[in-house]
Amino acid sequence: MNIRDNLAKSCLLATAIYWAVIGAKSIDPDVVPFVFLSMIPIFFCTSIVILLTICPFFWAAKDQSITKVQVIKRCFPYYTIASFGLCFLGIISSDFSTYMVAFFSSAYITTCQSWIWFAKDKPK
Amino acid sequence: MKPLLTIIASLLFSILFYGKYIGLNLSIFTIVTIAFLFLYNPEKFKNKRILLHTLAYILTAIVVFVQHSSLSIIANIVAFFTLVGTVSNNKTSIYVNWLNGVYTSIAGFFHRTFEVDFQTEKADWKKDFDLIHLAKLIGIPLAFIIIFVLLYKNGNPMFNDLVNLIDFDFINFQWILFSILGYFLFSNISRPLSVEPATSIDLRTKNELIKSDTFSEEKLKKEKQLGTVLLGLLNLLILLYIITDITYLATNDITNASALSYQVHNGINTLIASIIIAIVIILYFFRGNLNFYSENKNLKNLTYLWIGLNIMLIVLIAIKNLNYITSFGLTYKRIGVNVYILLTLIGLITTFLKVLNIKNMAFLFRRNTQIAFAVLLISSSINWDRSITKFNLNQADAFDIDYLIKLSDRNAILLHEKENGIDISIENKNRIDTKYNAYMDRLNLREWQEFSYDNFVGKRNSKTYE
Repeated sequence: MNIRDNLAKSCLLATAIYWAVIGAKSIDPDVVPFVFLSMIPIFFCTSIVILLTICPFFWAAKDQSITKVQVIKRCFPYYTIASFGLCFLGIISSDFSTYMVAFFSSAYITTCQSWIWFAKDKPK
Repeated sequence: MKPLLTIIASLLFSILFYGKYIGLNLSIFTIVTIAFLFLYNPEKFKNKRILLHTLAYILTAIVVFVQHSSLSIIANIVAFFTLVGTVSNNKTSIYVNWLNGVYTSIAGFFHRTFEVDFQTEKADWKKDFDLIHLAKLIGIPLAFIIIFVLLYKNGNPMFNDLVNLIDFDFINFQWILFSILGYFLFSNISRPLSVEPATSIDLRTKNELIKSDTFSEEKLKKEKQLGTVLLGLLNLLILLYIITDITYLATNDITNASALSYQVHNGINTLIASIIIAIVIILYFFRGNLNFYSENKNLKNLTYLWIGLNIMLIVLIAIKNLNYITSFGLTYKRIGVNVYILLTLIGLITTFLKVLNIKNMAFLFRRNTQIAFAVLLISSSINWDRSITKFNLNQADAFDIDYLIKLSDRNAILLHEKENGIDISIENKNRIDTKYNAYMDRLNLREWQEFSYDNFVGKRNSKTYE
């Protein structure tokens, strides 16, 4: 598992989605430095979520000699349903505020894509 | 041709839903979804079960247009997941259909990405790489050009003026993002998926109980004795409770609202506890080989009696609730009690069938979830606000006008029609007029995507009123 690459790609993807959703409403040039600065908290958030909620499935499977495909087929559907439910709940609770929509949609898409990257990850 | 269909459907999705409330748009979306599923999976639509779920989905779309209630919207969404799940696999239980439907709708795109990769690795890796490369080739330079243009803007006034001449206001980026969301949804449902191993386990699980190889008569005898004693005592207890309840009902003339309310709600609490414990006890004793034990006749008869007495308990609560409703009118809580009574009655009947026909737990889950789905569809087709208002004004001995005015707009037209025929204060008549006029204003402000049946009836009424 190439966790380092996965975290880097996930951070970039989450930043792109987050600012794309916010930028779709209005683009302010003064915000540009914040796009780069925002990568620091986004990196922490994505790292914590991926390391705590996705990686353990693969680490546990390694001990029981279950293949990556089996892990994804067994766990990904339930993970994605739970994650979608939580993100959707977050969006509704925030009364569809743009920042929250951006945050939760980027969280959902990034976690799903992170699973895919782990699935495609080839041992070196 | 098919990707073009997805693009058209996603554009329609944006036209229907972007910045709009739910109304006619959800009904049209239903038709678009069915057409889309049919075009992608024409072979599957020959199956009767899929056709039945399609019909149910269309009916919920009509109900959304006519009733325009939260319950009808929920029923439509549930019917959507059910249909998508049935297209995924038409032989599974309804709860597995929901699982497959939800999973397909929210993550079909991601699932296919890795499934294709593992199945046809070599060809698709290349294709995938090309796509990523293309995305990089367009996305990265574009992102950097935008960033640098925004930075240079502040450094040179002439450049700033030049950039300011570019006006992208005619493009609504949020609308485009919304269309991408629509594309994601339609792309997800184009080829419905199955969640494994849940689907295959469900397909393998039959409704009948199977006698296991380890069949200890001694153990079963002890279990049967325990069950007979327990159910015998519980039957005596519930019988005593029912006798005292009937005596109380027959000897006391309860017309006081608070006393009736206390009776119904207290009775419901007893009923909840009693029915849940009854079903758990029955399921425990009839979970396995005791069903095949030759000397289980007494236990079975006691179980049937226990179910019968619980049904009697339900009837008593229903009578109390009916008295309550006749005297003080319908409310959502009182309707809720009736729905609960109906569901518990169905639960007891299916438990009875499980014991009688030696079925397993899967049978109970399957039947009960199917019935719950049917109850949801039927109850969503009723305009409860209008029914409550109509019943309370025409049939109840007394009614609470404040409660009726505070209900949703869906009774505004009826209240307005009836206000001169009922004995209420001028203040309440004014409140009804205010509610009606505000509703008419809201109806007039709706865009075509948000239309409901009231848009046509309301306008007609409003003309009559003028």
